[in-house]
Amino acid sequence: MAEAPKALTASAEQTTSRPKNRKLDQWIAFWTVPFFFNVFGLVFVPLSWMMPPRSPSSPTRHIVDFMHSHNLLVACVILTLAYGLAPVSNACYLMQVKRMSVSPAFRYSMMIGAITGAIVGMLFPMFCFGLGAFRAGYSPSVLTMLYDFGYLAFIGSLGCFCVMWMAFGLAIILDENKILPKWLGYYTIWQYVTELMAAPVWIAKSGPFAWNGLMTFWFAMTLYVSWQFIVYLCIYGAIKSQPEAELDNAPLEPHPAALETTSRTTA
Amino acid sequence: MTDVAEGSATGVDQSQRAAGARGHVPGESSMWFFVIGDFLIFGVYFVGYMYFRGQNHELFLSSQARLNLDIGAINTVVLLTSSLFVALGTAAARAGNTADALRRFWTALAFGAAFPLLKMFEWIPEISAGLTPGTNLFFMYYYVMTGIHLCHVLLGLVIMCFVIRNLKAPGTPKISFVETGATYWHMVDVLWLVLFALLYLMR
Repeated sequence: MAEAPKALTASAEQTTSRPKNRKLDQWIAFWTVPFFFNVFGLVFVPLSWMMPPRSPSSPTRHIVDFMHSHNLLVACVILTLAYGLAPVSNACYLMQVKRMSVSPAFRYSMMIGAITGAIVGMLFPMFCFGLGAFRAGYSPSVLTMLYDFGYLAFIGSLGCFCVMWMAFGLAIILDENKILPKWLGYYTIWQYVTELMAAPVWIAKSGPFAWNGLMTFWFAMTLYVSWQFIVYLCIYGAIKSQPEAELDNAPLEPHPAALETTSRTTA
Repeated sequence: MTDVAEGSATGVDQSQRAAGARGHVPGESSMWFFVIGDFLIFGVYFVGYMYFRGQNHELFLSSQARLNLDIGAINTVVLLTSSLFVALGTAAARAGNTADALRRFWTALAFGAAFPLLKMFEWIPEISAGLTPGTNLFFMYYYVMTGIHLCHVLLGLVIMCFVIRNLKAPGTPKISFVETGATYWHMVDVLWLVLFALLYLMR
């Protein structure tokens, strides 16, 4: 974390008790993002092989074996614990959205979309996949239902994320403070369109539009992962270039204009 | 397409137009980023469609025969006409003729708005005849691709309303914004041409 503030303001020098890096909160939130996604990736792929998704038309025997695997239970427990980091990583984005010259409706939509999306798209699947190994006696038909429920909740939870990324994309495009580059707003539009592209998982049980299909999973995932990287880099730039005086935890200055700005931004 | 239409637009101050057109990308560069990326995304869909079409040629051909070619063709004409008026409107706006530009953009908007309506006349009888995305892979591609395109059209109509608002505002309108909207609308048009050829016409 070499992002020590380059230009300390006069007020910062006066309050010597304060830590020098006043963006520390943002940097902590920022670095939880790669941590969270790495845990995510490790648990999903090599630990449990939950991802890439298994086929919706797998034979029942394979589904039962998969649902009984102990690694799957361990994976679900780890993810349910790490799940708490998702709000922190969203906080990192929201702090930058707050600086934009757009209606607060955008960031509230993002916030609620992230909350509802994470519950349906993350917590529900964890409970579904964890249950099979938790108790051995479930019948194959129950396990198949949990398997469907888990994957559909994970891949087919469309609306919340769609609105969330739409709000993010529109906020970037409409923003006049140029907090994030405008092309990122357009890129985000594709990201929310991928959520729409995934709608056929509710219909198709095999082929390119099933939940493990070329179009609905692999293509959407390629767009998503590259987008996530790029957003992350842009957020890094935005935190770095944020002026010290504009920080929410900047001390109030006796200057009337500064007071007005602070009260407006904290509203 | 704007350039082609401009050539036919009369009453445009040649010197002014030449000055505006020389060495400049019309509209905002971020919109061009969007256009190129969108073509790439649709391109992946087109390639995927062609691949699976090659695998089930008979199924795709027999399913294709059940589409409503008439409405598809009318929609193509509607969208092309709309694009022509957008091009003419942009040319008028560049020449400083805001009243003409407004009239042309209103016409373009009216033609554009007919597209989703006609689409409903196409989709609803098909769905009630039992041709849904679950019928087979062809219809899945058909509904997904035309559906995503329809979302683009609806977004384009919203953008066009903003362009009209920009032209109506007092003072000189922001030409770059008009050009950005026109660029987007032409992209929607080009995408439809490819979709129409792939889904309705290709044998």
